[in-house]
Amino acid sequence: MSSDATTAIPVLPVLDTPGTPDQEPTAHGLGTSLPQAESRAKTEGTFPYAADLWAEGLLWAAILRSPHPHARIVSVDTSAATAMPGVRAVVTAADVPGATTYGRRVADRPVFASDLVRHHGEALAAVAADHPDTARLAAAAISVEYEILDPVTDPEKAFAAEALHPDGNLIRHIPLRFGDPEATGEVIVEGLYRIGRQDPAPIGAEAGLAVPRPDGGVELYTASTDPHTDRDLAAACFGLQPEQVKVVVTGVPGATGDREDPGFQIPLGLLALRTGCPVKLTATREESFLGHAHRHPTLLRYRHHADAEGHLVKVEAQILLDAGAYADSSSESLAAAVAFACGPYVVPHAFVEGWAVRTNNPPSGHVRGEGAMQVCAAYEAQMDKLAAKLGVDPAELRMRNVMATGDILPTGQTVTCPAPVAELLSAVRDFPLPALPKDTPEDDWLLPGGPEGAGEPGAVRRGVGYALGMVHMLGAEGMDEVSTATVRVMDGVATVICSAVDTGSGFSTLARQIVQETLGIDEVQVAPVDTDQPPAGPSAHGRHTWVSGGAVERAAKMVRTQLLQPLAHKFGMSTELLQITDGKITSYDGVLSTTVTEAMDGKELWATAQCRPHPTEPLDEDGQGDAFVGLAFCAIRAVVDVDIELGAVRVVEMAVAQDVGRILNPAQLATRIEAGVTQGVGAALTENLRTARGLVRHPDFTGYALPTSLDAPDIRIVKLVEERDVVAPFGAKAASAVPVVTSPAAVASAVRAATGRPVNRLPIRPQAAVAVPNS
Amino acid sequence: MTLPASLDEAVAALTAMPAAVPVAGGTDLMAAVNRGQLRPAGLVGLSRINEIRGWQYQDGHALLGAGLTHARMGRPDFAALIPALAAAARAAGPPQIRNAGTLGGNVVTAAPTGDSLPVLAALEADLVVVGPLGSREIPVSHLLAGRDLLAPGELVGFVRVPLLHAPQVFLKATGRTGPARATASVAVVLDPARRGVRCAVGAVAPMPLRPLEAERWIASLVDWDNDRGLAPEALTAFGEYVAAACIPDPQGDEQLPPAVLHLRRTVAALARRALGRALA
Repeated sequence: MSSDATTAIPVLPVLDTPGTPDQEPTAHGLGTSLPQAESRAKTEGTFPYAADLWAEGLLWAAILRSPHPHARIVSVDTSAATAMPGVRAVVTAADVPGATTYGRRVADRPVFASDLVRHHGEALAAVAADHPDTARLAAAAISVEYEILDPVTDPEKAFAAEALHPDGNLIRHIPLRFGDPEATGEVIVEGLYRIGRQDPAPIGAEAGLAVPRPDGGVELYTASTDPHTDRDLAAACFGLQPEQVKVVVTGVPGATGDREDPGFQIPLGLLALRTGCPVKLTATREESFLGHAHRHPTLLRYRHHADAEGHLVKVEAQILLDAGAYADSSSESLAAAVAFACGPYVVPHAFVEGWAVRTNNPPSGHVRGEGAMQVCAAYEAQMDKLAAKLGVDPAELRMRNVMATGDILPTGQTVTCPAPVAELLSAVRDFPLPALPKDTPEDDWLLPGGPEGAGEPGAVRRGVGYALGMVHMLGAEGMDEVSTATVRVMDGVATVICSAVDTGSGFSTLARQIVQETLGIDEVQVAPVDTDQPPAGPSAHGRHTWVSGGAVERAAKMVRTQLLQPLAHKFGMSTELLQITDGKITSYDGVLSTTVTEAMDGKELWATAQCRPHPTEPLDEDGQGDAFVGLAFCAIRAVVDVDIELGAVRVVEMAVAQDVGRILNPAQLATRIEAGVTQGVGAALTENLRTARGLVRHPDFTGYALPTSLDAPDIRIVKLVEERDVVAPFGAKAASAVPVVTSPAAVASAVRAATGRPVNRLPIRPQAAVAVPNS
Repeated sequence: MTLPASLDEAVAALTAMPAAVPVAGGTDLMAAVNRGQLRPAGLVGLSRINEIRGWQYQDGHALLGAGLTHARMGRPDFAALIPALAAAARAAGPPQIRNAGTLGGNVVTAAPTGDSLPVLAALEADLVVVGPLGSREIPVSHLLAGRDLLAPGELVGFVRVPLLHAPQVFLKATGRTGPARATASVAVVLDPARRGVRCAVGAVAPMPLRPLEAERWIASLVDWDNDRGLAPEALTAFGEYVAAACIPDPQGDEQLPPAVLHLRRTVAALARRALGRALA
């Protein structure tokens, strides 16, 4: 294993400059900042997003959603809607021909609620009409008689409450027992922490188009992030064979969680099958907030034991995830929360209980860094408390406890991958602090509250805080992580066919770089994704860099062998002695050479390969097991300014050091880290989808405040540690999730330092950041 | 949709079609239309009416056209005239909104968080309303309080604001550093000719609140003929006086919830800072 660590200060991404098609790209291959293929179309506004889909004679869909979080449905009368001119079909639960429930892991969610509604915004019926307004009015004309029930909105009360679902209210319980329960430390700190409900807030509208096929099947054009699973779920609900349903992935904008999920696709397909016409659905922003999955709101109770020198002795924790009404991916989120409950620290004894429970709150599910982000905020708050109690510098206390390769996680799994946590922490600690406001001209000082805000320099306190975070990569606990890719070469152009959906993670750029690197061909295209291709799995947990990237590399290598074998034979040397650069094949000694075109001789070369990482196992009844394929780590130092009278917080700078394995595309890596940190800053300060007794309040971007460019801090990537993970293809680690996990804890730590307040809740409310001057 | 070129034509269009809705910048109205909350039978667009896009002077007052955009009001020449209104306009949302949203629209929408409203309340501005029966003037507070509503066919044509030639401050607290709605806002204007301090608090109630007693008390402490400065303790007391007037203690033993207590502290801090800057 190489231990070369380089410091990379990323430069601005090189934009895809406009030019003639035959213009030579300046960058190619791994380790270069090859720009994204669609960046130009997206910048110029010509990229076709899902909302731009069109088909001749299409109908418009609208969905009727419950205005109540919990109610018994007494009756549903669609006659008024059906009678409206222009309405072509109205479907309810009674019209679902196949399975009436679905779910990515557990089939516990009805396509349309029929007896009970379990959350605000749950779908009851869908309408297709010849105009979007008609569809909306018709949906509103469906008369539903509800018997309103008391919603269960406090997850702590879900245990004792009447069952909200036939499956019961407890979705999963993991008791983790590691070490000696009797162990105690000389110093004990305790805390109770609450994490709010972050929405993945995809900016591009959720939209899709369903087109019926003459053979009785249907094609779904959507920005699905897991097309094969979605196809199988939809087919089951349509009462069709999976082959009769085709999901065509179209116009995916960025996604940090699930979007256009089966709950969106199934009503659309049903309407297309029912009417025999193409049907289009574009979700309103409100529907989007109500319908898709959010980050689990979490309640955490912690007790840390340490010895007098600050070495951790034991961690006890209780973690309660609010899953909302349906299971979705809560089981995986809980496993991550429990396994990483102590963070990247060496803890000899750990006792963690985790529960995911059902409530009538908005549904929770996959949002990147789920589980790990909530516990990071809590264990880092505990580390700050411990440092304060012992009178030790918070960074120094962390340094005394950091994990390294060879240490054991509380799940009993040995950390075999690179874990350069100490190196990451010292990198951010030793990075120079940003200038104090008094040293910069006042005009340049953006006070908390913004340029036109009420900020007053005399009331502003600066704080510095640290956090260390970790995430797992790929699916956990025995999930079969496999991806298949095909590489085709013809007429000097290589094409990658792989159904990995690029949700902004940059997989398609990476796939082009891998093929360029292996085959020496500059022009590489990535084919559009549909379910006629073999599955590649969901776009989550950085899996495509690993498994799909691995599959692309293997396929490219197979093509390389096919291409070079005849030449090697002719030259009397093995294929390893030949290299391909700039479309030329040369022998190692440079004596023999030919062009790729000549070697191809008009042939077409194809190869298909799979990548399947080593298997994992589920956590057992004591929360023990080798559940994760790989781990990634990050250290962040946050610097904040707090107006201690108003409680306004501005994050001045986030210094990030990250364990990335290997840098495959520097510009893309930097943008992924910056995006992750910004999402984390949002979770720390403003992003919280509020509810009142189960009803979502303000489902819009006025009420749900995302970070703007003024809220986004200066992000300094001070170190990217390149210690290759030997089990990962290329040795690269997923980079997007771990900054999201770590940033909220770092911001909270800095606000704690600035105000002296405990900061036990995220997002940080202004009243929690108010302090008495000079106290 | 009609696009009249003068106020008279607009009034005639509205009178001819009483169900039509006037639209200026459309930053509030069209958002409601997009959400499906509003389906106006017709729209009377006000963007071509040049007479309400600027301002003129009238015996010590400025007659501001209702079609003045926030972007225009935020410019330095306007800021020299009515500094607090310019500050409120600059703080009112992102550039796209400020380019489209107008002063008249902000008044008529009458959102509790409307940034120009506390400034107009503190300035005791009057609205010049034009209608089929001619024009009339009503205090802005009467419209906001619902005491005097616009009749069918009537439009806000102008806003009459006194030119006080003295410091004015508008301060706004929000939940983030980027543009956002106010959680609380305070406007403080000095009126040296009448030896008065006028203050209005926005966003904490459905309309801006005027803490009249606090205004009179602090005005009595100011030395109007000299440097007008006040001791920090007086500024703090003023802030707390204003906050308590706008967010009173509940009756009996009840306690204000923590979020409301924080709002009161925020108002106190804003009022103290605003007065301090106005008197500095």
